[in-house]
Amino acid sequence: MVNLEDLKNEAHKLLKEGTVKYIIGYERGTNGLLPIPAFIKNPEDVERLIWDPTCVFNLTRFLVDEKRRKASEKEPDERPVGVIVKGCDSRALVVLLQEKFINRDDVYILGVSCEEAGVLDEKKLAKTLKGKKAKNIEFTKNDNFVVMTEDGKTEISAKEILAERCLECKANFPVIYDILLGEKVKRKSDKPFGSLEKFESLSKEERWTFWKEQLDKCIRCYACRSVCPMCYCDECVADTINFAVTADTTAEEKAQKIKWAEKSPVTSENFVYHLVRAIHLAGRCIDCGECERVCPLDIPLRLLNKKLEKEAKELFDYEVGFDPDQPSLVSSFKDEDPEDFIR
Amino acid sequence: MAEEFEPKIVAFLCKWCSSAGSDLAGVSRMEYPPNVVPITVMCSGSVSPLYIFSAFKRGADGVLVSGCHPGDCHYIKGNFYARRRIALVKKLLDYIGLEPQRFQMSWVSAAEGKKYTQIIKDFVQELKPLGPQTKLRSNS
Ligand code: SF4
Ligand code: SF4
Ligand code: FES
Repeated sequence: MVNLEDLKNEAHKLLKEGTVKYIIGYERGTNGLLPIPAFIKNPEDVERLIWDPTCVFNLTRFLVDEKRRKASEKEPDERPVGVIVKGCDSRALVVLLQEKFINRDDVYILGVSCEEAGVLDEKKLAKTLKGKKAKNIEFTKNDNFVVMTEDGKTEISAKEILAERCLECKANFPVIYDILLGEKVKRKSDKPFGSLEKFESLSKEERWTFWKEQLDKCIRCYACRSVCPMCYCDECVADTINFAVTADTTAEEKAQKIKWAEKSPVTSENFVYHLVRAIHLAGRCIDCGECERVCPLDIPLRLLNKKLEKEAKELFDYEVGFDPDQPSLVSSFKDEDPEDFIR
Repeated sequence: MAEEFEPKIVAFLCKWCSSAGSDLAGVSRMEYPPNVVPITVMCSGSVSPLYIFSAFKRGADGVLVSGCHPGDCHYIKGNFYARRRIALVKKLLDYIGLEPQRFQMSWVSAAEGKKYTQIIKDFVQELKPLGPQTKLRSNS
């Protein structure tokens, strides 16, 4: 078990000694069960930190913002930022390091292990509690959660409310860290790509009908893009204006720029966005589930990401997020890569 | 009687090989169907998945990416990267329910005019029964 006091003590020490400029963690919010991200600068404030199965967010996204902020500062504080990461989040860090988007020296990693549990799925929990509000939630040894509601305690089997990704997690402990809290034990997980099976068994037309219905819902709010630590490009082809316009950009240049996708949320444009998104995350998405969680239309984005993760594994034996020194999926190849599809 | 459906194919052809292969087919007066819109690219490795999605969006019934044979890429490794990327795009398009026949890749050298014409003939034959590609096509 991760001892919250240990986490606070470590954080306190890091801030007090000035090892880090601030720490990104979780604190209780004012609305509902889910926490909010905490940015802690003063050692006394570590009291606000929490760690429990409601800590769903992938905080590494804030490192992307931090990098941008730092770039605009005249005399930036060069100390690393402390960040609390779970197993999946640590794999996001691995990818950011692998792509040299961040440097190892810029981050101090406080790893927390989910051990045999994981984080919960808010939507699943709401369904199980049928309108009752959870006040507190704890994991017990026998693969159950004890949930406190206004009617008292209820025990719910972990499977019922754990996030889908946790059920299929490859390593529910950090794979990279400066300090590790909790044990490197692994939950007995389901088949790694089990959640795809049902969908993959559908016929081609059924699959098309499914995705058309799902992606037609998309309102192109780009919440999925904003929350993803891998979506750090300064310019995105999905945007109507996808090139930097400066004072020197001529009308001629502007006229020649290609508009790849309209922002109008219609089938053809939504598919361009989502296909590009999926392919650009191939070999990079570490399945933190954030995109799907934040989607206001409940589009099952994980089903897209996970498919490419599976293909990367099956076609190229590529596993994402374990080795910062391995070349990335699409910037490498092997002589024996499959080519039976090529004429 | 309705006219027979003539599929439109967008072909991304590497300048150093497949594009030259298609030229050879042309200057040698080999006959092949006129369904192709060829787009010359510098290397099969320079074909972004976005080009492919975009071609389908703009109404292509089929898309072909063709490069130099492994080992013959002018930039040495471009076609190996392409092979990986295209494999993923192929899986993705199939997954969302596009007919897998609509997206093909081939290796065609500058000397293989004949192979090129055969690939196009086969492609057209496979696309005909599928009818127009409307799934990803933009209506505007
Ligand atoms: S695509 Fe979604 S699940 Fe994958 S890393 Fe980005 S936010 Fe996380
Ligand atoms: S979060 Fe959902 S609705 Fe918003 S752009 Fe992403 S998929 Fe579309
Ligand atoms: S130059 Fe022809 S495939 Fe690279």
